[in-house]
Amino acid sequence: MHTFMRRLGCLVLAVVVLGFTNACTVTTREVASDEKVIYDEGYHFSDKKSIVRALVDSLLTKSPLAGATDRPVVIVYGVANRTSEHISTSAITDDIRQALLASGKVRFVNETQRENIAKEMDYQHYGGMVNPETMIAKGRQVGARYMLTGTLRSMEKEQGRQVRLKKKSLNYYSLNLELTELESSLIEWADSAEVIREASKPFIGW
Amino acid sequence: MLIDKYIAGRAGLLVGLGLVLLLLSGCATTRLNAARDAFYAGQPGKSIDLLSEDGGFPSRERLLLFTERGMAYHRLGEYAKSVVELRRAADLMAAQEVISLSQQASSLVTTEWATEYKGEYCERLWVHTYLMMNYLLLYQYEDALVEAKQALKIQAGHEEALRQDYFTRALIALCYENLREYNDAYIEYKRLAELLPSPQPVAADLYRLALRLGFADEAAQYGQYLTAGEQASAARPAAELVLFVGLGRGPVKVPGNVVVPPSIRFSFPMYRDRPGGAFDLQPVVPAEPMASAIATDLGVVARAALDDRKAAMLVKETARVASKEALARAAGRNGGDAAEILVRAAFFVLEEPDTRGWETLPARLLLLRLALDPEQPEVAVRIIGRHGESIERAVLSDLALRSGQRVYRSLRY
Repeated sequence: MHTFMRRLGCLVLAVVVLGFTNACTVTTREVASDEKVIYDEGYHFSDKKSIVRALVDSLLTKSPLAGATDRPVVIVYGVANRTSEHISTSAITDDIRQALLASGKVRFVNETQRENIAKEMDYQHYGGMVNPETMIAKGRQVGARYMLTGTLRSMEKEQGRQVRLKKKSLNYYSLNLELTELESSLIEWADSAEVIREASKPFIGW
Repeated sequence: MLIDKYIAGRAGLLVGLGLVLLLLSGCATTRLNAARDAFYAGQPGKSIDLLSEDGGFPSRERLLLFTERGMAYHRLGEYAKSVVELRRAADLMAAQEVISLSQQASSLVTTEWATEYKGEYCERLWVHTYLMMNYLLLYQYEDALVEAKQALKIQAGHEEALRQDYFTRALIALCYENLREYNDAYIEYKRLAELLPSPQPVAADLYRLALRLGFADEAAQYGQYLTAGEQASAARPAAELVLFVGLGRGPVKVPGNVVVPPSIRFSFPMYRDRPGGAFDLQPVVPAEPMASAIATDLGVVARAALDDRKAAMLVKETARVASKEALARAAGRNGGDAAEILVRAAFFVLEEPDTRGWETLPARLLLLRLALDPEQPEVAVRIIGRHGESIERAVLSDLALRSGQRVYRSLRY
């Protein structure tokens, strides 16, 4: 019995030492931007990529943008976050804008830089430092024809309280986008993309 | 017999480990207490300095480090910094959902202080309550709603224990309303109306939202609690000052003991109120309360939350007492009476209940909504003690709002 206890002790010690050695080693790895890396049931960057891709495809292949030949001007008014996580939705709008611009089918008004544009205009016109010949003309900005808005929503469901070693949860994310024609206030296009993920977390750890 | 000897041999080691743990916890408690004293002495900045992480704070009490710092920053009016600390607390709480076998095993033969402090259910909820307040004070309504949803999750998990936290539920409703999620706001106000002794404090909100949502019957139902004038003003947007008021000192955990001869000690924490100080806040004319204040007595909620996990605490305490008794007897069989007495005495001293807690919380949280005249520059408020005595008069300035505009202020007395 004594030998058994001693061996057991040695085994536990060896496992602990191994655990510590492993925990103390720093490892890094490059992750490709299109690689799907998911640690838990929460929102991940790969989710953003997949839902943005789906919605941009829909936007470019359906009316009104599919048939547009005059590269209509669009303003992006952001995506509202209605999930239960702190998610930066500006990253979603940035990706959408970038993909749409790359398609060459639309142009964008820079809404986020309006204040800076106005400041620069004032500097050029009233600062007395800029050569009048190179001064930007006032009142020449392009008005947007369409407004792009959206909402990111989530729903979560967790298993009830019961005796078990793991807890399962189901997360549902949906990004809805709308393209509104500003003159008529009509929603000309709307679509949504979804991600549904089930995860299971252990209750017990070392 | 060999197992007996083995166990008896380890008893000394366990006692030593327990004593070291207690000593280490003592160091952290001293720092925490000094920081809390500074907080209540009106020096939240000093409180933050005392809790600087560079000082090597034990990882078991990290949650308290974040919550106490979060509260200190909130009191300083540095809401963005308070968000950082409380978000760290929230992240830690999420990570703590996994039960650590090593901590549980060591606490079974030493003391509950050997485990990482996870916060009572109510404290976990109030982390999100303060995050909601911070985000509202920063006018970051989407983030406030994220915290409202996190708070709802905790409330749903411990509904009975947390049902009397009216303040947090009112805040959740407000977060929904700010983002025009009127249906969700209505549901929360309605739940609040059911939980409160009378629906009167939320009748104006329910009346306004019922009208907006086209619920004519329910608008009529809640309209009964309002005068004709109140109905008219509830229906139109007013300039509004929303006050979050923390009053007094929140309850603290104290040790409770039951000693069974010869030396078996059952210990458990219990909440004790800290009476005195500010109890209420009243606006002084010309501000007009839009409805009665919604108040949460944190002591009542904390006691209910502790009661909620009493059964689990009792099971663990019994297991700990049994394992300590077995160890003491094994020590006696192998080392004689003197060894048993020594081990029993050490275990008796070690049996310290876990009295850790977030101690800078107020005794009461008050949500007061005041309708202001447009362009009204300031509002005076009176802070009142438990026996109705006037403690202080304060003036809130720089208000001058437009009709329909809502501003937030946080006060602590």
